[in-house]
Amino acid sequence: MKFHSSVFKDESKLDINYVPSRLPHREKEHRLLMEFFSFLLRIPDKMAQRVIVTGDIGTGKTALCQRFGEDITIEAHKRSINLHYVHVNCREYRGKLFLILQHALTVLKPTFPQRGYGAEEVLRALLQHLDEENAYMVLALDEFDSLIEAEGSDAVYNLTRLQELRPNKPQRISLVCVMRNLESTKRLDDSAKSTLQRNVVRLERYGKAQLIDILSERTALAFEDSAVPEEVVGFAADLSQDENGNARFGIELLWRAGKYADAQDLDAVTPECVRKAISSIIPTLQKSQIEELGLHEKLFLLGTAEVFLETNEAYATLSEIEEAYAVACEEYDEKPVSHTQLWKYLQGLSVLGFLKTEVSSEGTRGRSTLIYLPAVSAEELAKALRLVIEQGTR
Amino acid sequence: MKRMELEEVFSSKPRMKILKLVARLGELNVSGVARRIHLNFSTTSKHLKVLEDEGVLQQRTYGRIRLYRFNQASAKAKVVQALIEAWEKETT
Repeated sequence: MKFHSSVFKDESKLDINYVPSRLPHREKEHRLLMEFFSFLLRIPDKMAQRVIVTGDIGTGKTALCQRFGEDITIEAHKRSINLHYVHVNCREYRGKLFLILQHALTVLKPTFPQRGYGAEEVLRALLQHLDEENAYMVLALDEFDSLIEAEGSDAVYNLTRLQELRPNKPQRISLVCVMRNLESTKRLDDSAKSTLQRNVVRLERYGKAQLIDILSERTALAFEDSAVPEEVVGFAADLSQDENGNARFGIELLWRAGKYADAQDLDAVTPECVRKAISSIIPTLQKSQIEELGLHEKLFLLGTAEVFLETNEAYATLSEIEEAYAVACEEYDEKPVSHTQLWKYLQGLSVLGFLKTEVSSEGTRGRSTLIYLPAVSAEELAKALRLVIEQGTR
Repeated sequence: MKRMELEEVFSSKPRMKILKLVARLGELNVSGVARRIHLNFSTTSKHLKVLEDEGVLQQRTYGRIRLYRFNQASAKAKVVQALIEAWEKETT
């Protein structure tokens, strides 16, 4: 089989785990993080810090933290300070503090036994190891919401008040908590909240011009010269802006568009490659799953997509979706199912990853469940659902 | 405590396996050693104790967890570690 030369120079530069040496339009936030933790370079044993980094999907939270982690570690090592930056995605560890701490410990001590003890023991072992090595750790807890969900206030409080367990000893662990929004911190009690929320770095959504800069830099690293014309970068930036200024979406879109270009032996990525790439997202991710859903689950999901199309909001309540679902039932001449059944659909669809829920304590009537679409455009989802529903009812 | 003769310490295959393992991995708990050299917990503990008594290994305690490693303060341990490393390097 003969391979055509690729439009890619180094596609790993578009990988989700790649951290560029500089992050366009996040310079201020990077500087702020470095300032929050500058004590680590001067008086590391005298202080510990807790910082929240928050922003929507694709605003560069993880990349910013990892860039900061590498940079602060380099600066610390230049000053002979033994600093470790450990980045843990809490969701990967089901939000369990024990597993998260165990991961942090095994980064430093890979042969530490995996079973037979609790979170507090791991924490003590981690602190003991840091004491023995005269080392410090910045522990970045990505998707921190899942830790709050799984463990609640006590774990967060203990994590933020480590030093109270060991008075007169050097401070060893600082925290960076990464989360999409601060909603879930409302579930914490006042003391946990107050120790956590003093320093917040907010990442605003990227605008089109910023997305063009980001995508252009990545394009230069990942693609051959002139393999991605400016208009294609602009087009991908437009589509990313439609996805709430999600830079990651644009980067993945360019990678996929490059694959379409390679598959057709093209010398450059065309707008049509980008269109193919975007239309492939729903079928590759979810079309087969959509077909497997029951009719009323599909109608419920259609109602959800319609609410987001109509309101252009990130979140919707179940009652808003219930109304839209009733309209979808009318459209397809179906009798709506009960509220309880819809609640079950919500749980099921959430498990399958079609939508996500979040508990809010806002409002006068106490907590309400907010629903959002995690990664899929509402328009594409609605289109795919209508197609599948119509094929099924024909 | 009666010291063991050199040949007695190093004539045991499990003890040599333990030393090679610790040289390779740095630090391990008893179960971790036992699992890797396919011996039971109690026999492994006995061999580790011999190596500890002879000053070749030392244990560090993290709460209930004991990890064994080469005794950083022992000249004997350094020589044994260097011997194993050189041997392993030559044979790989």
